[in-house]
This record gives sequence, structure tokens and C-alpha cells, in this order.
Amino acid sequence: MKKLIYIPLILLSCSCLRLDSFLFNADPSIESYGLDDYEGTVEIEVGPEYDIADSLIHLISMQSDPSGDNKKIHAVYLGNVANIATDTVILYCHGNRDHLDFYWPRVKLLANVGAKNRYGVLAMDYRGFGLSEGPSTEEGMYADVDACMRWLKLMGLTDERLIIYGFSVGSAPATKLTAEPRTMQPAMLMLEAPFASEEVFVEDASGLSLPGSYFTSLEINNGDLIRKVEEPFFWIHGVDDDYIQIKTHGETVFGNYEGTYSEAHRIEGGNHGDTPYIMGYPEYLTALAKFIERP
Amino acid sequence: MGIIRNLGLLFLAFAFAGCNATRVVKPLDKGEKQLAAGFGGPGIIYTGAPIPVPLTSVSYAHGLDTGLTLSAGLHTTSAAFGVIQSDIAVGISAFQSKSEKFGVTVTPAINFLYDFYENNGRTYPQLDALSWWQYGEKDHLLYGGVGTWIELRKRKAHEQVQNNEVLPWITVGHQFNMEKWSYMTEFKYLGFQHETDLSVVDYVSPGGRGTIGFYFGISRSFGK
Repeated sequence: MKKLIYIPLILLSCSCLRLDSFLFNADPSIESYGLDDYEGTVEIEVGPEYDIADSLIHLISMQSDPSGDNKKIHAVYLGNVANIATDTVILYCHGNRDHLDFYWPRVKLLANVGAKNRYGVLAMDYRGFGLSEGPSTEEGMYADVDACMRWLKLMGLTDERLIIYGFSVGSAPATKLTAEPRTMQPAMLMLEAPFASEEVFVEDASGLSLPGSYFTSLEINNGDLIRKVEEPFFWIHGVDDDYIQIKTHGETVFGNYEGTYSEAHRIEGGNHGDTPYIMGYPEYLTALAKFIERP
Repeated sequence: MGIIRNLGLLFLAFAFAGCNATRVVKPLDKGEKQLAAGFGGPGIIYTGAPIPVPLTSVSYAHGLDTGLTLSAGLHTTSAAFGVIQSDIAVGISAFQSKSEKFGVTVTPAINFLYDFYENNGRTYPQLDALSWWQYGEKDHLLYGGVGTWIELRKRKAHEQVQNNEVLPWITVGHQFNMEKWSYMTEFKYLGFQHETDLSVVDYVSPGGRGTIGFYFGISRSFGK
């Protein structure tokens, strides 16, 4: 019976399972970006009226976190690169699945806010996604988005013309780098289906107040970080989101915002990934444009 | 959504109270000892099929007196994640028929969870009440009852109000007894007051509430 005491000791000694990596459902298997020619699954389909001229689609790469965990990451810029010094740019942070091609229709939609190519749009693959060197990490994700800001700044963009848009997991770097800016201070924050924290995931699923640290070492905490955001805040969330619940995640993030201006768009019938489609693309684009262009 | 939902599945699958099969159905005889291992958990839909979350635990029980059994369990799946989860329970015979074929066991328990990453601890009191019916030459047991975990915290993350004071369940099970070994099969309907239709985990949830749990256990008695 005395040997029983070794059981918990053995278990403790091998207790290293963490679920952090499951935050990132990346697909690094592609050899090139297909964009309009991509034949795999995409999150939403958009019609040809939202296509962007090839001459305004620029695939770029950059070094992310060169003085630390340096990785080469890939991005796409929609617009005239030469005009970044005078244009307003939306920096799009995608969700946790696959790679840029999966989110390409969403990126094209953003390039139609206001009018076609009214705003420049930059979207990147976080490390580990698509062609970007991996592995995916939370801190790496922040570094990669910041690397994009560094590139934009190098191209002449200034803080007041930078808008950051985060969808789903992308709400983490968008919120983090607005609340705690590094290279640039975004002038506006837009979040679609943001999650409050991994703790809320756990609470939703368990019905108990279990800490997120029981499962993961992730420190994503949009629910608290949003309190530091003073910049205007646009929030859109599907009411029927069965992945990131609007009630526990979205409403918490929106409710904790204490900045200068906010607006909420709760979309009836919208699930996690289809909210722009359910809302209607023209209505979605109009809402974004009105927010950006309000007096 | 398929791939994206795997995050939730793996992230949270064993969060649903980490329940285990009933530790003490019928209190052990005085001096009797029992080692047990359990497998199973809340039911989830995985690639279209219902499966139990593979939670595992080991436990030890000791008959302190007639109708009074102390048990202690360690949740080995949680331990693999760096979380010490244990439960200590006292099974008390609240009623036993003269024929000793029918009885009621009440089991107050306490569950402890603690992680060594951020030193987060949680304590959840638990109360079970089971009625059992003994039959056959080997005194197999059919049993059913109710139980609940009790949430002591009034606030959730981000200072949101905690509205779930309890996580109750209804349980039905069978214990097949051999000379020294016993084999247990149990079903629980967990958290039936808790809406799970929008949960990140695809629970097996009748009417969008709670989840059905499936549990299997094996135990060996000593000193009987």
C-alpha cells in the first residue's frame, strides 16, 4: 500500500500537458497563396463585385521579432503601396484557422469599405499559419501583428490613419496592441466575435468558476485589456455564435470598454464565422464605413 | 466550423465538473478496503458520434465502521495537465432494509483542485444521495440518485455574476460484483439547468441543457 504514494508523484512529474497549441488551428501545408484561385474551403463566399484588381494585391514578407524569436511571416496588402503615406489602412487580424486563403474573402470585403479600395488593407498570416514560419504562439502572434505595424510605419503610415480589425482569435492581438501599443497606436479598434478570455471558455463549458490556468498557459484577456482602450471601438457579434458566445464573451468585452466612443452590432441569426453574410455584405460594409467616417 | 470547434473540444472537454463514477454506492463492511479505477465523463459529440470524455481517476475506500466508509480519489487526467484534483468523501448508510437488500447512502464530499502554474485553487463541496437495490447470489447492485457540486464563488471571470450556484445531476448505475472484483457502469445527467446549446463543447445535451455522462469503473476489495 505504501507504493500508492508514488502514483501522484509520478503523475506530477509528467504533468506537462497544456492545451495552448490548440488555440491555433493553422495549416502550414500550402506552397503558395492562391487568393482568388484558392480552391479549398473558405469561411464565407463573396461575389465578383468585391474582387480587387490584381495590380492592387501585393504579397509581402517581413521579419517578425528580429531581436527575439525571429520568424519570416507573410502578408498581403490590398491597395497602392505608394499611397500608404497618405491612405488610411485597416490592419486585419484573422481567426485561428488554416491561413490567409481561408480568410481571403473577408480581406477583400474590407477592401470594399466605403468604396472599392477606399482604404488600404493589410492582412498577415501569424507564424505557423500558411507560409509564415512557425510555430504559433501567443506572444509570436502579437509580435507578428506588430511587425506589420512596423512595415506600415516604414511605408509612411501614421497612428491616426491606422485602424485595427480583429476577428475571433484575432481580437487578441488587435486588443492587446491597441491597449498596450508597441510600434504604433491604432486610432480605432474593430472587433468581430471577440473572446473575453480562456477563463470564460472554461466557465461556459463547465458551469463552474474553474480557472483557465487548469488547461492552458495562454494569457489572452481581452475582457480586462479592453478597459485600457481609449480609442473608438466598433463591436460586431452574431447572436447565435456557438463558439464564442455573445452573452459571456462579446458582451463582457463591450461592457468593459470605457473609452471615448463605442458602437455595438448584435446580428440576429449570425453564428461565429458568417456574421457579415447574415448581416448582408452591403449593410456590413456600410456599418464599418459609417464608424470609420463618423464626424 | 469543424476544425475550429476542435479547439473547444480539447480545450474544455474535461471541464464539466470533472465528475467521476460514484465512489461509494453501498458503504463497505467495517475494515474492508477497496481500490478502484474509473474512466469516463461527460458525453460529447466527436466526429458525429457520442463518446465519453476520457477522464480517469483512481480511488481508495476504507470501511471505517458499519455503514460508514471513507474514500479518497485522485483524478489522473487532471494530474496529467498539472492540476491536482482530488476528492474526499464519507459514505453514510442513511437507511437499510431489514433484508439488507435495499438501502440509501448519503455521501457528503469535498473536491479540491489546484494547479502549479498559477497556483489557482478551487474547492467544491459535493453531496450525493443514492438508493441501491441488491440482487442475485453475488449481491450485484442497481442504484440511482441525485447529487450536486456546490459553487462557492459569487463572481466569475471579469467580475461577472456567478448564477450557477449548483451543478446537479441525476445518476443511474449498476455494479456487477464478483468475489473480489466489481465492475461499474453509470450514467449521469449533469447540469440539466445549464444551457449548453451554445457551448463551445458539443455536449450530448438533451434539449440543449446539461450533458449525459458515461462512466465505467473497476474495483478490487481487500480484507473482506
